[in-house]
Amino acid sequence: MIVPLPHVLCVSAGLFALGLFGALTRRNAIGILMSIELILNSANLNLVAFNRVWGSPDGLGQVMALFVIGIAAGGAVVGLALVLAIFRRQQTISADEIRLLKG
Amino acid sequence: MTRLMLGTVGPIEWAAKAAFYGVAAATLFSAWVTVSARNLFRAALGLAGALFGVAVIYLFLEAEFLAVTQLLIYVGAILTLLIFGIMLTARIADPSVPRWNQQVRASLALALGLGLGLCGIFLTTLWRKPVSDSVPMAVLGRSLVSSYLLPFELLSILLLGALVGAMVIARKEEP
Repeated sequence: MIVPLPHVLCVSAGLFALGLFGALTRRNAIGILMSIELILNSANLNLVAFNRVWGSPDGLGQVMALFVIGIAAGGAVVGLALVLAIFRRQQTISADEIRLLKG
Repeated sequence: MTRLMLGTVGPIEWAAKAAFYGVAAATLFSAWVTVSARNLFRAALGLAGALFGVAVIYLFLEAEFLAVTQLLIYVGAILTLLIFGIMLTARIADPSVPRWNQQVRASLALALGLGLGLCGIFLTTLWRKPVSDSVPMAVLGRSLVSSYLLPFELLSILLLGALVGAMVIARKEEP
């Protein structure tokens, strides 16, 4: 590997921190979805990096990363469908303006 | 890999290292654009940059199949879907709509502390010596249909369920 492992992990930690910040602060529901995609990508980066240096010979880390990508696709599809349904009913997708369940 | 680590540091290796750090910086900057852009369309473009950067880092980690998959599925499919969603919902570029809620300070402190703390831990840990080599694509494909066949098939069922569920949720309600 050309670059040392901790530097790759630091990039992953930075992506995770940015994604966490976005997921906590974004008002737009699609913005929150995009931040969650960033978090999933940082996890994938960790899986691939660790698989590169201490992985099993059958590539378990990369297989897991592939599964994560697939599940992220499913999550994005369902999340966007929910956002569209909410927008049709409420005319807004701001996460702090959707308070149907608040008494 | 050992050949690369043991050999004298040549100009090509320097160029590769410089390329990695450039890509890493660009990825993090794009991620910052994603979470901070006021215009949601610009945020989606930032996400495209970040996903592309992660794909390039996969290439540095010698995971070529994952790099291509990342480009095809994330940049090709998920991002297109997100942009469709952004365009179907209004008020994306309205400057009067605040982009963040009231938790900005606390979240920024939490994220910054977590990121820097994790980075410090990663940089100060005494890691074991790297042992394994890169995984050939043939091995990856074979283990997908042998050792990990069950989760592979479960994933296809999950995607089918997500497809049907998304159609049910997003269709127009009957009068």
